[in-house]
Amino acid sequence: MNPLTALWLSIVLGACAQVFLKRGVGHQQLAGGARSYLGLLRSGWVWAWGICFLFATGLWMVAISAMQVSYAFPLLSVGYLVVAVLSIMFLKERVPTSRWVAIAVITVGVALIFKSS
Amino acid sequence: MSTGSIVEKPELLLEPSTAVKKSSLWQWAALGAILLGSFGHLLIKLGVTAATHNIGGGSLIARIGHYFLQPTAVTGLAVYGAGTLLWIYAVSQRDISFLYPLTALTYVTVALGGKFMLGETISAERWLGIGIVMIGVAMLQFSAKGDRP
Repeated sequence: MNPLTALWLSIVLGACAQVFLKRGVGHQQLAGGARSYLGLLRSGWVWAWGICFLFATGLWMVAISAMQVSYAFPLLSVGYLVVAVLSIMFLKERVPTSRWVAIAVITVGVALIFKSS
Repeated sequence: MSTGSIVEKPELLLEPSTAVKKSSLWQWAALGAILLGSFGHLLIKLGVTAATHNIGGGSLIARIGHYFLQPTAVTGLAVYGAGTLLWIYAVSQRDISFLYPLTALTYVTVALGGKFMLGETISAERWLGIGIVMIGVAMLQFSAKGDRP
């Protein structure tokens, strides 16, 4: 697979995975320790997270083994944007302007960190 | 003695501290997840780089399968997995649109870890990037003020 295709698929799948996870765990208290974690296995959303996460990780490995980190890591920040959009659409999260700005600032910072590598 | 009254009503001592612990636990969980994630990621990267030198090409599935057989990569995955359990806890407590960008702190911890543990140099440009990410993370914190607890 083309490393760039792998990278983009990894970013989108990784973002979807986080939204699925949030959908699965909701706002519940995981106070029951190991038992409440095992209880999560009954949630289809948590399984969707696991599967997407696994594929995203594998694709990420494929991408970074054939690509410069200075290119791959800053693009990973696009995932924050995707998660924010999906969280509004599917989780009814309220994303204030300050959070969009924060995501933009973080993306610029990440690009600078990896520019020289 | 005042200690007598404390023993009689231990909840007076316990209540404030447990309340604080409960509300801030997600922060420690998120921080722990990010630190373990950084370390795990580093190990995975080392393992994958070694594996790529050994096999080169091959089909996608074969390559992914080969990565999962590398001891260093597998150790990295285990560390990553421990971080993931902490992450799940944090996700159950806060908005995902707030938590996910926090993971950019990974780059800061990796850069600082490389400097202080491996003696790597950090260029002025990279320091600037680290500073800007930190500012962004601070701004995220302010954006979380109105979120559901």
